[in-house]
Amino acid sequence: MERDKIIIYTPDRFLQIGFLNQWREMFLSLFLSRELIWRLFLRDFSAKYKQTLFGVLWAVLNPIIVVGVFVFLNKSGILNIGETTVPYSVYALIGISIYSLFSTGLSVTANSIIGAGSMVVKINFPKISLVISSFGQALVEFAIRIVLFAVVFVIFGVTPKWTMVLLPLAIIPIILFTLGIGFFLSLLTGIFRDTPHITSLFTSFLLFLTPALYPPPKSGVFVILNAWNPLSHLIMGCRDTILVGGISNVSGFLWSSIFAIILFFASWRIFYLAETRIAERI
Amino acid sequence: MSENIVIKVDDVSKKYSRGLRHVMLYGMQDIGKNMLGLSSNPEILRDGEFWAVKDVSFEVKKGETLGIIGPNGSGKSTMLKMLNGIFMPDKGKIEIKGRVGALIEVGAGFHPMLTGRENIYVNGAILGMGKKEIDKKFDEIVEFADIGDFIDLPVKHYSSGMYVRLGFSVAVHSEPDILLIDEVLAVGDYAFQAKCFDRINYLKGRGTLIIIVSHDMNKIAQYSDNVIMLHEGKISKRGDTMEVISFFRIFMGKQYIKTSRVNSADFVGRFGSGDAEIVDAVLLDENGQPADVVYAGNRYIFNVSIVFHKDVDNPIVGFILNSSSKIRLYNTHSFSRGKKLGFFNKGQRIEVSYKFEANLLRGVYSLTPAISYSDGFNFYDCRNNLITFHIVDNGYAEGLVDLKANIAVKSDQKYEEF
Repeated sequence: MERDKIIIYTPDRFLQIGFLNQWREMFLSLFLSRELIWRLFLRDFSAKYKQTLFGVLWAVLNPIIVVGVFVFLNKSGILNIGETTVPYSVYALIGISIYSLFSTGLSVTANSIIGAGSMVVKINFPKISLVISSFGQALVEFAIRIVLFAVVFVIFGVTPKWTMVLLPLAIIPIILFTLGIGFFLSLLTGIFRDTPHITSLFTSFLLFLTPALYPPPKSGVFVILNAWNPLSHLIMGCRDTILVGGISNVSGFLWSSIFAIILFFASWRIFYLAETRIAERI
Repeated sequence: MSENIVIKVDDVSKKYSRGLRHVMLYGMQDIGKNMLGLSSNPEILRDGEFWAVKDVSFEVKKGETLGIIGPNGSGKSTMLKMLNGIFMPDKGKIEIKGRVGALIEVGAGFHPMLTGRENIYVNGAILGMGKKEIDKKFDEIVEFADIGDFIDLPVKHYSSGMYVRLGFSVAVHSEPDILLIDEVLAVGDYAFQAKCFDRINYLKGRGTLIIIVSHDMNKIAQYSDNVIMLHEGKISKRGDTMEVISFFRIFMGKQYIKTSRVNSADFVGRFGSGDAEIVDAVLLDENGQPADVVYAGNRYIFNVSIVFHKDVDNPIVGFILNSSSKIRLYNTHSFSRGKKLGFFNKGQRIEVSYKFEANLLRGVYSLTPAISYSDGFNFYDCRNNLITFHIVDNGYAEGLVDLKANIAVKSDQKYEEF
């Protein structure tokens, strides 16, 4: 019974409970807050599209515009993007949707804690639920875009490979990667309010350094850049499951996934250790 | 921790940073160290930090209600946040047995676009209630909030009263073992407040331990078994409810005098020919000691020293007592008593003492000493509101005048007088 459990608050309490117990607490806290995460997610989702003119269509409007610009630039010869196995628009659309999972994911998670307002300093609840539930918005957005893919495939007469059904699995590493950075950013935003702005500048910039809107370069400095960018491998891997039928660069995808997993757990631990400090400084 | 004790606060301290720069700088340092699994050395007070709570210890037993009072900035809310687990102490230890709930932030998690119904689930989840629990209590919650059909409208259409009633209703239906209440009770109309207090009483009856922080002494007196008073982060008094509240009242009275300087030009003024001069005036208690706080019902002496600069024949001496709202409460002088004072030489000095009983209730008052010509119309010297003082009473009544009423209730079975 709850009644028998004694809670003890001391300075640096986690240092006293030991490494293993810290992890136990982290998992327990996450498990117990699963319903809260769902509720917060539902709340944000229903609120987001209520009383808007275009509703869920907003999720698809953004990539269509960006892709539209690049298609135009490609066709008119201003940019030379290179050869793609499918019509460029399709290729770019898939690429940018996967990248958005990362960039939107970072943006919403970075804001998740300060966005909750005075709740954070007045009520005691697992703050990790805020970060995870806010990430849900990015996932939903991605899911809506997959529906858009279907429409586009039909228009351009492209048939996706059967491996597309593995997409939900393939995006797991990129989700972990994004959350990993997101946990840390949400804390940082508590101290430096401009963190989300800096982040979005950074992700806008990174979009052009990552082969999302263009196929991976075969020569030049970008090759090296690409090889060492975990995001590149994760995005290309996901795109491959849709278009190629298997992952082209398995080793790249593998080490990037392992990196993502480590990043996720390290960041989660940091979040847990610094959680209460943030409530003091917000 | 022994069986009966549910909350044990042991030598707890908490520090805050002054100034935004320090908040950010120390924030980074502390978080950085914590992230690496190192201690941030919280016991050390760095430059620009101060103790918001210092060396506080107390215990609360099962079913007890503890009141925490104190002037603004004394550390009450900080202490409550530590009990709630939002802040960690920087020194000491807090042990809590059972689930903690709080009536602090009403309507937490409410989204303006969602309906009241939907928000009940969100708020409930944040407060730790599962879906099953909310489903079970849903009708009760809706009824308690008493907002009618608005329950199905988005919350942004609610008046602030409805918002609070709904939020409060959800919070009050979570049934924690320990309930922390912070000043949120000053909301809603009288009927709603009564409902809330009924509910709190119900929880109290079920053995819920309650900690209440408030500036409303009536509420504190009504619900607390014990009270602690905080001042500048430390406990200045603890113990029986009425004792601590009394101590607090006197303390606040002294604070008020220190901080309120009655300086407005029209309130203090002096006029007169100056042929006789009021050179000094002081308020003393019965024992001749200067009184800075006046207790209702006690006897005091208003001593006025007058020096004659010319020969004066049959002056009239008297004083006026004014309330802070400038109502003339009392005015008496030697003439109204039919007394002629006689002749005074130039250079003579006299002491006039007005001995009175302070049958007034709490508030700020002022004394105006005066000496006038025998015609009672022209003044030698009149010093308006020369002395200001504060009266402290026992809280039995409100108003200006202390009638010292006793109340007796008689029935067939018994007779009580109090």
